[in-house]
Amino acid sequence: MSGRAIALKLPTIMFALVVLLTVSGSHVVRGQFLHPKITSKETTIRRVVVLPAKVNVVRDSMKGPEGMAAESDELSARVAAMVTEVLSKQKFVTTLPATGSAEGDAQQKYNVADFQTKFDDLLPKIMKKRSDVKKGRFSMGDEVLNLNLDKGTDAVVFIRGAGKKLSGGKTAFTVLVGGTPAYLKLQIGIVDARNGEVLLYTDPVFTGDPTTAVDRLRKALEKGFKKLPEVKAL
Amino acid sequence: MFPHRPTKLIVAALCFCSVFTSLHPIAFAQKKTAPVEATPPPVNEQFKFGDVDLEVLKQADLLDVRFERDGLVLADESANAFVRRVGQSLIPRGLKLERVSWQFRVLRDPQPNAFALPNGSIYVTTGLLTLIDNESQLAAILAHELTHVMRRHTYIHNRSDRKKFLTMNVMAAVGAYAPGGVVGAVIMVVTTVAPFIMVATMYGYSRDLEREADLKGIDMMISAEYAPEEMVNVMKLLDKDIEGENVRLFYNDHPSLDERIKYLSNYLGARADKVTQQMELNRERAAYFKKMEPLMRHDLQLAINAGRARSAVYLGQRLVDFHADSENLFWLAESYRALGPRASQLTEKELTNSALKNAQKKREKRTAEEEERELLATPSGQEHWQRHQQMSEQLYQRALNAENPVPVAHRGLGLLYEKLGRGTDAVAEYEKYLELSPEANDRQRIQRRIEALKEKLK
Repeated sequence: MSGRAIALKLPTIMFALVVLLTVSGSHVVRGQFLHPKITSKETTIRRVVVLPAKVNVVRDSMKGPEGMAAESDELSARVAAMVTEVLSKQKFVTTLPATGSAEGDAQQKYNVADFQTKFDDLLPKIMKKRSDVKKGRFSMGDEVLNLNLDKGTDAVVFIRGAGKKLSGGKTAFTVLVGGTPAYLKLQIGIVDARNGEVLLYTDPVFTGDPTTAVDRLRKALEKGFKKLPEVKAL
Repeated sequence: MFPHRPTKLIVAALCFCSVFTSLHPIAFAQKKTAPVEATPPPVNEQFKFGDVDLEVLKQADLLDVRFERDGLVLADESANAFVRRVGQSLIPRGLKLERVSWQFRVLRDPQPNAFALPNGSIYVTTGLLTLIDNESQLAAILAHELTHVMRRHTYIHNRSDRKKFLTMNVMAAVGAYAPGGVVGAVIMVVTTVAPFIMVATMYGYSRDLEREADLKGIDMMISAEYAPEEMVNVMKLLDKDIEGENVRLFYNDHPSLDERIKYLSNYLGARADKVTQQMELNRERAAYFKKMEPLMRHDLQLAINAGRARSAVYLGQRLVDFHADSENLFWLAESYRALGPRASQLTEKELTNSALKNAQKKREKRTAEEEERELLATPSGQEHWQRHQQMSEQLYQRALNAENPVPVAHRGLGLLYEKLGRGTDAVAEYEKYLELSPEANDRQRIQRRIEALKEKLK
């Protein structure tokens, strides 16, 4: 095939790829990794505390990325609520409130903030070798107990995410020239509330407008927690 | 072939015009950078708000709310009030700026940094406040950030970036539909190279604005009677790469620290201002440390949490040199314990750019525990660990023997002994800590450690 033919076919190939990604990969789960204690049923996750999610979306236009702080906050709250819902309906896991996080309690606010930062520091290391969660390699230490959660809490859920919404112009550009479509990628870690071990890591992804695709988000989360064992009645 | 020629020529012309537009800022970069002799007026009066700027402003306001909500802003009223006072003293009297409401806040982050949002919110991290020596150095940082707001740098930079992004996207489209043959190949090459040039101009423009903020900052410091040389001293402090993080990249949005020290020194030499008595007063180290002592301790905890043990030792030693009370001794002991098998200072070899890059790659892969294990397997790591645990133990003991001893030193000793395999001693120290601090926030954690150790000792 000549260079010219390749050049002319490039947009068509790109277009096909974008369509393929949008249709078939609308809710892809890249991986779910469970700690051996979970697979061997040595540890069971019955009650969790979901910490506030940190999901950031940007609007990508022909003139570059633009911040969407309000939409990001809204989406963060929605993702956290949906994680709670999926865990409760599919896996019968109870979600407990983060006790002690009373408004105005600066020390408790700091504790939560510092622990969230600690997860942010650990996350790139997990993402470098996600399969090592299965070897029980990652831990956040017993400082997790400083969160002073309810005594019955088994695990703490951390949610991170990044997404992109495309402007009209950029959507057309993506179809004609190529580029990443609109997407949302989440990184969810479930950490043992007693010793800080990372018990589960999952990173569901879906293509589509992250601010409006509620059903896709739910499906992606359901798939993301597929391997997590259901809680059996005591 | 002939009928296609005009189209090809138009496409080729469009590409070259775009490349010229992108090269233009580079060609005139020297002309645009602020000369040492003259700085622009403090306020950019020609600036008029557009829709794009209002959107940026909205995002900035929301960012303020997020920092506050996420517990990132330090809730220490005296530290915030001090930063606010210094900041306010730098703002020219009677200055009213459209859509600017001045706020000065301390951010809980051990990494030395400061930044300004276009709405007038200026943030200085605890890491930077702990690193500097006096009020004048704080004024230097704030004056730099104030200039960014007063000269509307964020808006101007954003407008410029948007134009460049648009050009890059247009070029990408042209490149994707390039015809075949020689002209097509040329277009492909040009459209591939152009984005790199665009990115370079974006960073170049950012460096120009930083330089302007440095030089205007000097003017503002002098007007508010702060010794301007302290701006140079801040740069020198930032140049001290305690953690080995100053990796030089191909693109940088700030001028290099060496370059900043050089042009600031030249500017100060050209101005030759007299040092007043007030300027001397504002340079007092002890007065600054006295105000910042609680904040410095808070930052030490953050530095240890973030694995910045070398910085923690450096800052802890500064605290003890200033005031060797029980609490400061405790923090230095904690820092040495966190340092573990690491060397307290990086060698010259470890500070070369390639070594820094390698270390950064390792940091991205290894957890802190894995790093410690690897170091403990080496003779030098063993030697450091021996020395640091001894230092740490001595400092905890000194903290407990000092006036008004802090109970938390018992916890420190407990953690140290547990690591050394001295279970019985660890339990005794933990129990002493809980006895003296029944309301401790980490009671649950220590209680579990006691139970686990007792189980082990059975």
